[in-house]
Amino acid sequence: MNFLLEGFFQAFDLLLSGNAETYSAIWATVTVSSYSIGSSLLIGIPLGFCLGYFDFRGKKPLRTIVDTMMALPTVFIGLLVYAFLTHRGPLGNFALLFTLPGIAIGQTILALPIVIGLSATAVESLDPKLRITIMSMGANRRQLFISSLWEARHGILAGAIAAYGRVMTEVGISMMVGGNIKWHTRTITTAIALETNKGQFGMGVALGLVLLAIAFAVNVSVSFLRRRD
Amino acid sequence: MDTPIYEIRSLNHSYAGKIVLSIEHLTVQPASIVGLVGPNGSGKSSLLRLLGLIERPTQGKILFNGRLVEPFSDEARFQVTLLPQEPFLMKRNVLNNVSYGLKLRGNGMDVGQRAKEALSLVGLPFKDFVRRPWSALSGGEAQRVALAARLALKPKVLLLDEPTASVDAASAQLIKEASLRARQELGTTLIIASHDWQWLYEICDAILHLFKGRIFGTGRETIIFGPWQKLGTEKWGKILSDGQRLLVPAPPNQEAAAVIDVWFVSEDGSTIAGEDIVLGGTVSRLSLERKTGQLFAAILVGDLSFTVELTSQQGKEHTLFPGKTIFIRYRLDQIKWI
Repeated sequence: MNFLLEGFFQAFDLLLSGNAETYSAIWATVTVSSYSIGSSLLIGIPLGFCLGYFDFRGKKPLRTIVDTMMALPTVFIGLLVYAFLTHRGPLGNFALLFTLPGIAIGQTILALPIVIGLSATAVESLDPKLRITIMSMGANRRQLFISSLWEARHGILAGAIAAYGRVMTEVGISMMVGGNIKWHTRTITTAIALETNKGQFGMGVALGLVLLAIAFAVNVSVSFLRRRD
Repeated sequence: MDTPIYEIRSLNHSYAGKIVLSIEHLTVQPASIVGLVGPNGSGKSSLLRLLGLIERPTQGKILFNGRLVEPFSDEARFQVTLLPQEPFLMKRNVLNNVSYGLKLRGNGMDVGQRAKEALSLVGLPFKDFVRRPWSALSGGEAQRVALAARLALKPKVLLLDEPTASVDAASAQLIKEASLRARQELGTTLIIASHDWQWLYEICDAILHLFKGRIFGTGRETIIFGPWQKLGTEKWGKILSDGQRLLVPAPPNQEAAAVIDVWFVSEDGSTIAGEDIVLGGTVSRLSLERKTGQLFAAILVGDLSFTVELTSQQGKEHTLFPGKTIFIRYRLDQIKWI
């Protein structure tokens, strides 16, 4: 087990010495996850609100589909996105395969059902009296939407964190769509997988620690926001 | 006569295909106080939600100051506000709850000052409550904050749905006083649904009695609900808990409700006309209708309560007080079924 401990010490050495390869993977991960979480929140929150707030024909089957998609395997998404982005695929002209935006598209597909599903749950669990209260204060439709969304903020935030966690830690999409290209599309998770195969535990542990640190920072920020209420 | 602040025309409202409210025509005058009485499920809350522009009627029209309105109508949304029965506050502190509606209007008014005045109207000290989170309020305080949020808007119409039903006596008194001050100081029209008949008869200009979604009468009628049983070969009625028999004509169905007009007879039951049916009961409550000066008595007969209108002569002749035994009468041919 000594190699694990050695890896742990090596991790600090790599991080503190500013190892370029390590920081390249960190940068790629932060960039791609920011793109994907940003776009999935932008698309997913309004859709989740509509799914949770309104009653319409086909709502239940739609909800079941969204809930099922929350468990989509990352390799399956990777396969589909690869098929679409490859030169022979319908989106081949955009030359997005083996690029960070390509990975971000796959990760958006991964995060979107989580954001939609958990936002819908948060909105569904709002007290029905909230709508009466907001409307009785004279709100128009836009103000009703924004205020309801604000009241559901804790649930939506929980959904965003769950989606961010899934995006940060996935390997399948990054590996298949990004190709794990050094200095270019190598993310923290694909780097850990590669380094482990090579027996280089130090870099793997270092990158794992960075993932944990990012998750910790996100949760601390969210707790701070909650305390402000 | 002023243009009515509300006019309802041919309104039908239903939930899941079941009609819960059916009003052919109704007007409400500006700056008046209108009471809504009726049993649970009679349509009071539905009517308030429609007047509060929370819901759109399934059929029919609602006019506000002569103009057709519906939810989100710019003509009315800043002038009408509804206080629901159960206190509900948004997940914000007291100040942000009270100032929420003011901020929606966004016309640069002094939000802090208006919130302070409104909280003072409902008896909540500004300094003690302004930063208090919504979760740190009692039920009575929450309802008063909710009312303050409405009063801060200085509305033309304030709709109150059972405002004192779920609060303690002190909060109820403060809510009642604050509502009336809005009418006195701002000329606010008040429409109040309540089971507190005594309060409504003291303050209201008009009272509407709702039953099964329809308006009938003024709320002074006595309604006795089924089931009915056959008493002998041709008679129908109920045997009351004190052994007296409440007779009625043959009901249209077992569960029909009977509307019975009853009159005060005497303290000893001696002046009984031939076709009248007489019941002995106990005075449980006396109330005065502010607008007319009319005296009303609630009489307990067995486990049923009858409301009796007293003439000024009767009021002078008989010294009535709660607990006193008296006799009331009614006629079978004057009973209506609903």
